[in-house]
Amino acid sequence: MAAPESALHARVQAPGTVARGEVFQVRTLVTHPMETGLRRDAAGHLIPRDIVKRFTCRYNGVIAFTTDLHEAMAANPYLAFHLRATDSGVLHFLWEADDGTRASLEKPITVEA
Amino acid sequence: MNAPKSVGRRGLLRTASAALVSTTGLATLQPGPARAENAQFDESVLIKRLIGREVVLSPRVHLDMPALFGNGYSVPMTLGVDSEMTESDHVRIIHVLAPENPIIVVAQFSFTPLCGRAEISTRIRLAKPQNVLAIAEMNDGMLLLARRFVTVKTDGCA
Repeated sequence: MAAPESALHARVQAPGTVARGEVFQVRTLVTHPMETGLRRDAAGHLIPRDIVKRFTCRYNGVIAFTTDLHEAMAANPYLAFHLRATDSGVLHFLWEADDGTRASLEKPITVEA
Repeated sequence: MNAPKSVGRRGLLRTASAALVSTTGLATLQPGPARAENAQFDESVLIKRLIGREVVLSPRVHLDMPALFGNGYSVPMTLGVDSEMTESDHVRIIHVLAPENPIIVVAQFSFTPLCGRAEISTRIRLAKPQNVLAIAEMNDGMLLLARRFVTVKTDGCA
């Protein structure tokens, strides 16, 4: 039962305009329980694992930063990282969960000389 | 920290190892001796087993976490490596391990020169007080280690 893409709510904070060569921070958050698969429900049954297992950030189509997330990442994974401004274009963000659910976001970036 | 009996510590470790190796393509796994449940965790054995090679404790790796944190479910972590992040000198991957968690591998952060700076902030789960380990794999293959002892008051993995 694959959930639709919109089932994950993702947010990104990044500057819209950056000077060429400047290193800027990108902050991301995705809403997800990150169920470890180790917990049991009230009836004693294991709650199946369901985590966001991969995050990918592309800068103008090129992979710039990725994360492989495991069970010990906190719920609603927060990732803040950096990029160096090279060219104007698009930042693309993708989150992929165990159950096939995905979230993606795009953010335009303007790089000034 | 109630790992299901059917999986067991070794199984989890093996899973963790497989995850780490599949990501990095680094190591051939050596089947290690079973560890007694209450034995002191041998960090160098664990690293050898998960990473496959020796690592060097390095002041270039900065692992910032609170020494004491109440809530094991969401412990803040900022992790950085001193690096110019150029094509010829950059951090490829930072592995984060929590050896006393039921599943040891926490995350792998993969950087490129496009990042400009090798620094990441996030929040992780810790089951009990322990040394959190960060191992940075540089583009020349060097493995640099930082560790930080973090005490949590509640089990973030239960």
